[in-house]
Amino acid sequence: MVQERRILYEHLDVPDINTFDVFRQYDGYTRFEKAIAEYQPDDIAKMVMDSGLKGRGGAGFSTGLKWSFVPRDIKPCYLCCNADESEPGTFSNRYVLEKNPHLLIEGILICCYAMGIETTYVYIRGEFTLGKEMLDAAIKEAYEKGYLGKDIRGTGLNVDIYTHPGAGAYICGEETGLIESLEGKRGQPRNKPPFPAVEGVFGKPTVVQNVETLCNLPFIVGNGVEWYTQMGPTYADTRSDPPTPDPNTGTKLYCISGDVNEPGVYELDLGLTCSELIEVAGGLRGEEVKAVIPGGSSAPILTHYELDTRLDFTSLTLAKSMLGSGGIIVMNETRNIVDCLLNIMKFYAHESCGQCTPCRWGTPWVRDIVQRIADGNGRKSTMTRPKFGVAENGRWGDTGETEEIYEDLDLLESVANNIANVDTMTWNTICVFGIAVSWPAVSYMRKFRPEFEAAIREGELVTLPVAEATVPPEENYAYQQRFVPKEFADL
Amino acid sequence: MSDKLIQIETPFVFNGENQREFDALIGRYPVKEAAMLPTLHLAQRQVGYITPAVMKYVAEQLEVSVMKVKDVVTFYPMFFEEPVGEYVIRVCHTLPCALRDCKGVLDHLKAKLDTDVASETNLAKGTTPDGKFTLMKVECLASCDVAPVIMVNGDLHKNLTSEKVDEILNDLSEK
Ligand SMILES: Cc1cc2nc3c(=O)[nH]c(=O)nc-3n(C[C@H](O)[C@H](O)[C@H](O)COP(=O)(O)O)c2cc1C
Ligand code: SF4
Ligand code: FES
Repeated sequence: MVQERRILYEHLDVPDINTFDVFRQYDGYTRFEKAIAEYQPDDIAKMVMDSGLKGRGGAGFSTGLKWSFVPRDIKPCYLCCNADESEPGTFSNRYVLEKNPHLLIEGILICCYAMGIETTYVYIRGEFTLGKEMLDAAIKEAYEKGYLGKDIRGTGLNVDIYTHPGAGAYICGEETGLIESLEGKRGQPRNKPPFPAVEGVFGKPTVVQNVETLCNLPFIVGNGVEWYTQMGPTYADTRSDPPTPDPNTGTKLYCISGDVNEPGVYELDLGLTCSELIEVAGGLRGEEVKAVIPGGSSAPILTHYELDTRLDFTSLTLAKSMLGSGGIIVMNETRNIVDCLLNIMKFYAHESCGQCTPCRWGTPWVRDIVQRIADGNGRKSTMTRPKFGVAENGRWGDTGETEEIYEDLDLLESVANNIANVDTMTWNTICVFGIAVSWPAVSYMRKFRPEFEAAIREGELVTLPVAEATVPPEENYAYQQRFVPKEFADL
Repeated sequence: MSDKLIQIETPFVFNGENQREFDALIGRYPVKEAAMLPTLHLAQRQVGYITPAVMKYVAEQLEVSVMKVKDVVTFYPMFFEEPVGEYVIRVCHTLPCALRDCKGVLDHLKAKLDTDVASETNLAKGTTPDGKFTLMKVECLASCDVAPVIMVNGDLHKNLTSEKVDEILNDLSEK
């Protein structure tokens, strides 16, 4: 069985690790000291680049690359630590804040040293009262011990960290929404470009980084790039010549919830499969896996056909889903996918910031369609039409059969795809919240279409057995890129 | 209506402790407006909700228009524009909690408190007549591993069952 590898979480349960003295006993701040004693700022940035660290907050963007976009001659430059953690199914940052806040401070210090940053804002979601309290206390202690403030450890380095509470809006987790919110405005995302790395908070270059991403930094500096890159798979992207390495290195704090026996956070090397993770989390609660959401509620759903998908950035992208925040939600055979989609769409309809018309109107519209289906009032036409699918020649086209027309399902797909088109990956909105809405809407509907049709036909929610509820991969283009192309082998 | 008029006339000022916190806050940002959210949190802690007088005061302190403050207050669900109960009970109802029967918890709370669930535009609907509790639904509280969860003011309660809810309510009623 796959073993947990605790690095970020290694000392999480040590009593009083939240205090400076105990943290110090467990190598606390030594990695930062090593960084300032042995390396130039550019060396650190290069190490982070070489480590292949990808952002853990959602987008999975290379951290080193993001840092390289920051102009070095414009000062001040800011660091915003994203501790807004609101993606349904995600809860790993909270434990860091509540139990081991000094680790985050050390990560911030290393980032600040590498980037020449003097001011950091930690944007904590408003509901994290305890987390904010613990982090505030740790910051205070770090100031007293001379690890924050002016002229840290006599090196001339100045770093200030301030915590900033949010107030219950999910969209403030989006990096530019966060920046607006930090500036004291409504948390409405900005058009990009300019990207925050160039023009962020208060019009200055800004690095936005998730808590977990920053917590990786002490270990990269402390143990070296070579040690770090052993963990997790590195694929070869052969679309370019010569092939470029595509690293999925390090561990991930997988948050697993829903129908498993031991929900919780498990720190594992990137790249284990979905079924392995369910095993690690005490096995399934129930008889059969019906569906798995692999990366927070925004991620397209996986069916029981896809349980051997590896949970890393590349594999999930190729499976037309995403690792996102690493929030894995498991559903067993008793769950109704229409009902689950309704729950998620209510969430998005509530959280749209309202700036873009497609998102402001489209999201409640999608919710209303799903609600209608769940209430048993879903619409169906009496007519039929030619059925499209994999035709005899093995390609997509007219199969020669006819099919019934479920108007509401067509409408659902059309509205969702007009907020953001999941097939072409283009969106008509300012931020990718639009994709986060249409991805679940379209993927649930395509992959579990029989259950949606049954609800419309029968006039009430019908939970079908797993095999009947799921459309097999061969029949559905939602799965199109499911199989990892051969050229994406391990390096 | 008359209520609201009185509120406008009753001026608001920070008490000593909050004033000190505010003074510390304001130095953190290159522009005063950026202190908006923490300042509103302080004010809400002092009077329970954001009155027109609070908005006016905050606007003066941060040197922005009252409209801007109102704009922000209406955007964020955690700021209340109406009085709420002494204890605000937030019940998470997003998918992972729903998979662990948060509906049962919510129904139980509704029955026990004999109240409806507040909506963002009608907090009174979910507030008990004695002004002790306000019941509301919220989205994922980042504690899905211990679902279903509720938050009572700042405190998280995990792995809830009807019995646990009863215990929590008993403790609160005795206070
Ligand atoms: C709608 C939306 C919500 C997001 N919520 C969060 C969040 O709660 N926490 C987070 O760290 N990143 C969140 N992100 C991702 C951020 O925009 C950003 O990519 C991330 O903070 C960058 O940090 P990283 O590179 O360290 O991951 C969200 C993105 C979107 C589009
Ligand atoms: S896509 Fe939605 S959430 Fe994002 S900016 Fe537009 S309206 Fe706001
Ligand atoms: S869904 Fe309730 S805490 Fe996440």
